Amino acid sequence: MSEQDILNAGAESPALEAWRMFRRNIPALFGVVMLTVIVAATLYGTFFYSGDPFEIVWAPHEVPGATPEFPLGTDYLGRNIVAGMLTGGGPTLAVGAAAAAITMVIGIALGALAGYYGGWVDNLLMRITEFFQVLPALLFAMVLVTLLDPTLTTIAFAIGVVSWPQTARLTRAEFLKIKELEYVTAARAIGARNKRIIWRVILPNAMPPLIVSATLTIGVAILFEAGLSFLGLGDPNTMSWGLMIGANRDYILDAWWPVTFPGVAIFCTVFAVSLIGDGLNDAFNPKLRER
Amino acid sequence: MSALLQINDLRVTFRTRYGEVTALDSVSLHVNAGETLGVVGESGCGKSITALSVMGLIPQPPGKIAGGEILLNGEDLTKVSEARMRGLRGSEVAMIFQEPMTSLNPVFTVGDQIAEAIMLHQKVSADQAMKDAIALLDRVGIPSPDRRARDFPHQLSGGMRQRVMIAMAVSCRPKVLIADEPTTALDVTVQAQIFDLLNEIQRDFGAAIVLITHDMGAISEMADRVAVMYAGRVIEDASADDVLDMPLHPYARGLINCIPNLGRDDDSLAEIPGVVPPLHLLGAGCAFADRCAHKAPRCAVEKPLLINHGHHPAACHAVEEGRL
Amino acid sequence: MNASFLIRRLGFGLLLMLGVVVLNFLLIRLAPGDPAVVIAGEMGGATKEMLDSIRQEYGLDKPVLTQLWIYISNVAQGDLGQSYFFNQSVAGLIAHRVGPTILLVLSAQLLSIALGVFLGVIAARKPNGVMSGFVSIFATIGYAVPVFWTGIMLIILFASVLPIFPVEGMQSVKLRDAGFLVQALDVAHHLFLPAFTLAVIYLAQYARLSRASMLEVLGSDYIRTARAKGASEKSVLFKHALRNAALPILTVAGLQFGNLISGALLVESVFNWPGMGRLAFDSILRRDYPTIMGVLFFASAMVVIANILTDLSYRVADPRLRGKG
Repeated sequence: MSEQDILNAGAESPALEAWRMFRRNIPALFGVVMLTVIVAATLYGTFFYSGDPFEIVWAPHEVPGATPEFPLGTDYLGRNIVAGMLTGGGPTLAVGAAAAAITMVIGIALGALAGYYGGWVDNLLMRITEFFQVLPALLFAMVLVTLLDPTLTTIAFAIGVVSWPQTARLTRAEFLKIKELEYVTAARAIGARNKRIIWRVILPNAMPPLIVSATLTIGVAILFEAGLSFLGLGDPNTMSWGLMIGANRDYILDAWWPVTFPGVAIFCTVFAVSLIGDGLNDAFNPKLRER
Repeated sequence: MSALLQINDLRVTFRTRYGEVTALDSVSLHVNAGETLGVVGESGCGKSITALSVMGLIPQPPGKIAGGEILLNGEDLTKVSEARMRGLRGSEVAMIFQEPMTSLNPVFTVGDQIAEAIMLHQKVSADQAMKDAIALLDRVGIPSPDRRARDFPHQLSGGMRQRVMIAMAVSCRPKVLIADEPTTALDVTVQAQIFDLLNEIQRDFGAAIVLITHDMGAISEMADRVAVMYAGRVIEDASADDVLDMPLHPYARGLINCIPNLGRDDDSLAEIPGVVPPLHLLGAGCAFADRCAHKAPRCAVEKPLLINHGHHPAACHAVEEGRL
Repeated sequence: MNASFLIRRLGFGLLLMLGVVVLNFLLIRLAPGDPAVVIAGEMGGATKEMLDSIRQEYGLDKPVLTQLWIYISNVAQGDLGQSYFFNQSVAGLIAHRVGPTILLVLSAQLLSIALGVFLGVIAARKPNGVMSGFVSIFATIGYAVPVFWTGIMLIILFASVLPIFPVEGMQSVKLRDAGFLVQALDVAHHLFLPAFTLAVIYLAQYARLSRASMLEVLGSDYIRTARAKGASEKSVLFKHALRNAALPILTVAGLQFGNLISGALLVESVFNWPGMGRLAFDSILRRDYPTIMGVLFFASAMVVIANILTDLSYRVADPRLRGKG
């Protein structure tokens, strides 16, 4: 075996097999289609509905379907709900994805170090992880966003900072398991350095559960962003689904539609993401499916 | 004429991803009160399925009793209601399992677990049941039983746990006691103690014992009669002395030859080549044919029946034809 | 129970709380601008005297480490500072609101565990049955619904279509002077929708978890032993299997506590529940930092206590852990 073979051990074919499993998973494919439609709508929807979602264009609380121009009605100020739906998804999705990326980077880095080196490094990092798990995540994120002033960047950062502990624990557990395996010993035997073993040997093999976790983290981050925007702690200059619900919450007994449609949109997005996550999980763990 | 436990032509099938496979195929066995029947064979030959069938514990689905009968005192267990079966389990037929380490519930004390078995079948108070449980622990040779009764399983050694399992199994004086590889997981010295205990228990309670094992040494110590199973069928059935002294079926010979110092001239350990074939790959012929040194063309196409060809019953064409 | 374990666990809990205090201290200094102005609150319209008294109390003219020491010793004496917006001590503000939050969080926790475990056990009896399918779909849906939106939908439903539950607040004004029992029932009546809203997400998760956990336990040897004794199916499921399957559920229940408090923030805001969540929300909008930090401190303390209690109950539930350090 050459060094490259050892380094690539077990990386290629399981991914292909997982893909084959995933392709046959109908709920997961449904999730992919749903998410594609939602992403496409938020990316290209503004071609059809140009205009400022904050602009007051009609009488308040127009019933959905009553006026062809406003198929989903208008909100308490007379703003077009369709315009809000189409422009409000982009920030939510972007923050969700960015926050998940930050979560994964912090979580994987700390978890990998703790799991690989063990000893006092592990001890210290795990105590820090426990500390962050003690802080109620949403409250801590609210505090961070308030301190830093809410923009899409700070919101994504705040969500990432409060969400990483679970990823760190998962990564650590995977590293503890994998570092005992033969191909790691083999890599060590041919003189690979720690850095190389961590990032090029162990991490690729720890990826399956981490990919599943990343997918689910996107879902959680989207819900987080929605919650912050709902509370009015989002970026006030950007329309988002959570903001639409929050802005209309005082009038829910007069008009159900301004709060219902954005909520459905958030639900569908997170639902699609978690269907994909479950599908990936099944694809990576074919044994579990026989249950 | 009917024995205490009589199994006639029992057929058990399992639904698997390879389709329906036959786990037991026309299995007939019987055991009388006070007698010990040894059931031997490698793992996967149907011994445990037979035991679980008697207990009514075959998971259904995927398992299914597809034919035959299991008569306990003349009552067909394949036909009784689940409620009736539950009443019989633990009181009339009881079972000791292979894995004492995992067969006891880790979150209850051993005293509680034995007392529960008593209370399920006898109208006694909880206090009385616990007293009986402690007496049983004493009977199976556990020192300071009143203290041990308050222990959790993880605080006991493997041998102690198997004694607890035996105490639990005999708590309602069952007529039939099935012991499925009761000593496999234990040290050799402890194995002998457990066999002694089972013999004593049988003398005291007069139970019939069905001892399932792949250990021919255990058979020679315990069994009155022996049934040899292979791939879901009984292939040889006779008194323990007959089978041990003069095994007929090539598979039985192989098994017997595995025991060191048991009357054989050569003390080499003859081994049977190959493994038990997967059940879904069984063909029309003798299941042992592929591993058999005496295979003839007929063996690949015709299933041998369990018939007495002279000395005692064996299911083998070579025995029938006198080639052995 | 092993005393040294308890002492170590409590010691680590105190250490975590010390960490929260230090974090609070750092966060205030992280905020842009003069800490005294930050503490006074941007909307408080701080006067010169007020700022001076803040500098005095927090020792803001002294070195940073001294400031930290002053802050820690204040907190240790139960002094979380003064809310200049509410014009009240932070400790006093929170003391009034801890009760409703604990009530909400604990009811939601109990409701979700009880119902979730029940659904999970039923589903585990038939791993490929209708109930199992329902549990797994329900769990995915429950995970994907924003909790504040569930609350709003329930308000719309129960305020207009089916007005059997109050949708706002914790008590009816007209019953303020009624007897204790009447008031308690009134609170329970108000509690139902918020607790249910909060419970729904976790209910689904507990159902899925207990189904998986039960399936694993039901395959074990001791379950076969229980059946071989002649135990009834009910006893096998709810006594022999559930006692073992409950162990991972307990672990998750402990870990969920922090998330539950986060969820309670949103639910309290939706239902106008007078707890710490409302207080956090109000104080954040006003940038009333002493109150925000006080709420963060108290909420974290609740999580720490919940974690210690979980660890202790875990040792009661699993005899294999008793007597171990």
